[in-house]
Amino acid sequence: MPDRAVADRTVEIPPDAWGRRSAVAPVMPWVFALVVVLLLLGRFVLTPVLRAPALQTWATVFVAICVQALPFLVFGVLLSAAITAFVPPSFWTRALPRHPYVAVPVAGAAGAVLPGCECASVPVASGLMARGVTPAAALAFLLSSPAINPVVVVATAVAFPQQPLMVVSRFCASLAVAVLVGWVWLRFGRSGWLRVPSRPPASGSSWVAFRDAMRHDLLHAGGFLVVGGLTAATLNVVVPRTWLSSVAGVPVLSVVVLGLLAVLLSICSEADAFVAASLTAFSPTAKLAFLVVGPMVDLKLIALQAGTFGRSFAIRFVPLTFLLGIVTSIAVGEVLL
Amino acid sequence: MNRMSQSLILVLLGGAVLRVTVLSTTYVNYVKPGFRPFLIAAGAVVLVLGVVGLVQEWRKPHVTETGPAQGDEDTESGSTHAAAGDHGHHHGHDHSRVSRVAWLLCLPVFAIFLIAPPPLGAFAARSEEAPPPPPALPADAYVPLAADRATSMELGEFIGRAWGDSRHSLAGKKVTLTGFVVRSSKKDRWYVTRMQMSCCAADAIALKVAVLDAERPPDDTWVEVTGTWVAPKTDKIPNGTVAPELAATEVAEIPQPFEPYE
Repeated sequence: MPDRAVADRTVEIPPDAWGRRSAVAPVMPWVFALVVVLLLLGRFVLTPVLRAPALQTWATVFVAICVQALPFLVFGVLLSAAITAFVPPSFWTRALPRHPYVAVPVAGAAGAVLPGCECASVPVASGLMARGVTPAAALAFLLSSPAINPVVVVATAVAFPQQPLMVVSRFCASLAVAVLVGWVWLRFGRSGWLRVPSRPPASGSSWVAFRDAMRHDLLHAGGFLVVGGLTAATLNVVVPRTWLSSVAGVPVLSVVVLGLLAVLLSICSEADAFVAASLTAFSPTAKLAFLVVGPMVDLKLIALQAGTFGRSFAIRFVPLTFLLGIVTSIAVGEVLL
Repeated sequence: MNRMSQSLILVLLGGAVLRVTVLSTTYVNYVKPGFRPFLIAAGAVVLVLGVVGLVQEWRKPHVTETGPAQGDEDTESGSTHAAAGDHGHHHGHDHSRVSRVAWLLCLPVFAIFLIAPPPLGAFAARSEEAPPPPPALPADAYVPLAADRATSMELGEFIGRAWGDSRHSLAGKKVTLTGFVVRSSKKDRWYVTRMQMSCCAADAIALKVAVLDAERPPDDTWVEVTGTWVAPKTDKIPNGTVAPELAATEVAEIPQPFEPYE
């Protein structure tokens, strides 16, 4: 697929300046053997040198984000590869309503059954699209599944023991945003913006397709996950949380600020309720915005989405989701909290 | 990026994950202990995927002859390779090419092996903010403490009792707290600190109790502090503004506990 290869080349982050290209194919095994030896030796030589507390803290947060996300990513990639390799496309046309405007809310509600965090949902949504599901419906699923699945609902209930309405608000607001974004995308979105990942029909057995899809998605999404992890860890260490308390009392601004904080921190959706609960200076509506925006827009997700669906998609999709997330949170917060 | 480097990156990544979960317990520095089985499973899947790819690359030149005996997988890649020449540059298959962003997956591997990140410590807990108030519990959630001996408790429970217990169950009782040392900008105190983690180290929150009347050990030393709670002098300062205080009678250095987070 030559056009696919071209598309891949245009979205590469970071550019060639990273300089690792020098590892040329024929010498590759030797280079890697050398790297492994260096890693094992470096442990004794370099580790005692790399002791600056700021660097260590950064590395801990960075490794934690990557390590924590990896099982979810692997799970999502497994599921996505299974969808592409083993589920026939006709299944989706039967499972989802024919009319796209009806398919969006159905797909959004279906997000409630995928127990995972946001890292799993991107590959799954891409697998769904590759199998012919309407992009808008797959996007609604992408947005809703990390926020309304049972694990996240229970975690939210545990984090807010005195406020059962917080769980209800989070569920309703997240589903509403997912469906709204899906509809807006259906109405105004152009097919050129979204690079639907093409999956050629399997040339060999479906196991070969399964394995190849998995390897490709894992490496591709994993690379972008690292980009997000790098940024999130840096901001986590550099930005002191004391800056926040100064805006906690301002009505709308505090909601926007917590929404932005959710984007920057990139906390897994299964843990963000605990962090939100610890932001005691903020109003419940602001915390709700944190919980609604976090699973839908954050740095590692932006990197993953830009990598999977293309940059021109992310440029439009991310601000739209953020804006609708904030507005819906304020509206739901007014009514329920 | 050709198949060989893809496979090798997967092997490195899977190996690094298994290194911190199976071969050591470093993973508790990053995630909850209960997360281990998932990490091992994920690491194993990644490693197997990489090894299968490597084995395929290894056998490639011979595959064309032995193709049918190898089963479907090798037949497919063998025939494509035979047509495409070496190293899969013109593979004719969508998934054989991965953009170079995948090289970044080496970074966590390097960080794990070279920096060997320790649990979050005094640097992460350096700001003077008080810990966030724990969720309010019903009054009977706190059992009365023994009067005759020191009770060891988690920092979170101590803070909860200090701030949320209307019956003042801490008053006059000896308690033992475990944590690491963080210096304070105020002269008369330092903090015994524990990071509270709900999912991974990125969401950790510092729980701090100010220790009075004791020499400060160096930052990041793990200690067991025994002492009694100092009730705030006024009710005017709302909870969550300054850390609760403990007048120490004994400070003992201890090795780092297995689970560094609370």
